[in-house]
Amino acid sequence: MLQHIWPHARAGLIAFHIFAIGALAIPAPQGGMNRRAWSNPTVQAEFSAWAARLTAAGRPTTTEELEAFLWDFAVAYMGQRKKILEPMYPYYKWSGTHQPWRMFIAPHRNPSKLHIDLKVDGDWQPLYIARDPELDWRADLLDNERFRSALFRYAWRQYKGSYRQFGRWAAHEAAAEFPEATHIRLRWYQYRTIEPARIRAGEEQVGTFESPLTFTLDEYRGEQP
Amino acid sequence: MIRPWKRFVALMDRREGGEALAALRIGLGLAALSAALDVWPVADLIWLDAELGGYRKLNDPEGLIGWLGGASASTLHGLMAVTVVCALLMVVGVVPRLAALVYLQVHMALTNLNGHAGGSYDELLDNALWLMVFACSHATWSLTCRLRTGKWSNPDAQVLAWPRYLMVLQLVIVYASTGYQKVSSHWLPGGDLGALYYILQQPSWSRHGDMSWLAWLFPVTQAMTLGVWLFEIGAPLLLVALWARSSRTTAGPLRRWMNRVRFRDLFGLFGVGMHIGIWSLMSVGPFSAISLAMYPALWHADEWRRLSARVAGWRRRRQTPSPPAATAPRAG
Repeated sequence: MLQHIWPHARAGLIAFHIFAIGALAIPAPQGGMNRRAWSNPTVQAEFSAWAARLTAAGRPTTTEELEAFLWDFAVAYMGQRKKILEPMYPYYKWSGTHQPWRMFIAPHRNPSKLHIDLKVDGDWQPLYIARDPELDWRADLLDNERFRSALFRYAWRQYKGSYRQFGRWAAHEAAAEFPEATHIRLRWYQYRTIEPARIRAGEEQVGTFESPLTFTLDEYRGEQP
Repeated sequence: MIRPWKRFVALMDRREGGEALAALRIGLGLAALSAALDVWPVADLIWLDAELGGYRKLNDPEGLIGWLGGASASTLHGLMAVTVVCALLMVVGVVPRLAALVYLQVHMALTNLNGHAGGSYDELLDNALWLMVFACSHATWSLTCRLRTGKWSNPDAQVLAWPRYLMVLQLVIVYASTGYQKVSSHWLPGGDLGALYYILQQPSWSRHGDMSWLAWLFPVTQAMTLGVWLFEIGAPLLLVALWARSSRTTAGPLRRWMNRVRFRDLFGLFGVGMHIGIWSLMSVGPFSAISLAMYPALWHADEWRRLSARVAGWRRRRQTPSPPAATAPRAG
């Protein structure tokens, strides 16, 4: 009896798995339902490009109208999606079958590069610049692929709390390692990647320093992290 | 409804030699081992709470690590050692199902400690390991096989094929899902096809620092952008191609064409090239290694067996000493 039932039961379980992962993998703005994230210049540039494309195709749309429409649509879509997926949440959780495949869906045209400076004798000295082979303080940790993921996030405004915590960790490390230093500063050099033709013409990518954090190292000396 | 269901049940009951699942086990075991070792230098920094030496305040862990009393350094190191042992067990093929399950649960517990310090490669590995929990992957090319039969391979072994089918499906879902979400004007035909160029300029993921020299190779990056996008959105065709291969005897025009152009092999070749390209130019964790470890699922066990026989024959020929060169003078 069991020999006859088991193939059907097994096929049923496999069908459930296929439905569960397929439904979860259908594109959705998971993790992107944050109005502050939508104000990022890269995201805004995409809205502008699509508004222009729709307008050129005979459907006049402003960037603001498109953004408002997409927000309303996304809210409704995510609500329905949650209703369908919610019963399967325990399965995803215990089997590790989440499907987060939103990988490089749009190039980040306004990237940020972490700079860490140290103040010694009243002068700021560079200590670390991301991907710089010379200024490589703690690069064994900060350049590790897992830590790159964290640092990529911390340039975004919605992660400023975690960015500050990372800054405190850096202050602890620097306070112990550089007794002569008085301050540490973290900031992001943010720039817009320019078109290849302009690079070929000799133009340099120019940006500005954003979100500076400064810590007085005396506050971190002699403390446990 | 009953007929399609019966066909689905029969498909999920299909058996094949154990070589393809064994190749998957070895590949995924090596990828899991690499992932477990790579994280070691930063583990304390990312997975310990700020009070214990980490860089940020973490939520109290639930599940496995909560039951173990929290994320202390000794707990972390113990669990990481468990992942290394499990990965090795998978590679050599000793209790690989249990090893995959334990690795999966420990890996999820560890990576959930700090969701900021990870990437899609974590979920990709989790998904692959979950399928390996159900795969009889140690029937051949394993220490278990050696202990049971006295040989490293067992050509008579027959295993259920459905974990391999689901591995292919998972790969297709990864590519298709990401491809369908690439709606940026830099990815789509009609735009500037500059996506790969601009992605490679991002310092966060660059393996070699300044990549602005790619400006002189922009047309190449445009072609690659289009190629990657077509590869990803076309990934579901791989399922059609595999169906075409498995039903060659009754093939209609579409299936004949798919088999004639060797779609599956072309897909595999492009995918391998793409992942080698990602690995050589970008630092995005073990994503390429895990993806490539899933590729053995594209080939049937019989094809793996033929490849294995060819390699064995080649090795035999190399080991057999060639006859000494004739030194006697020619007659006459």
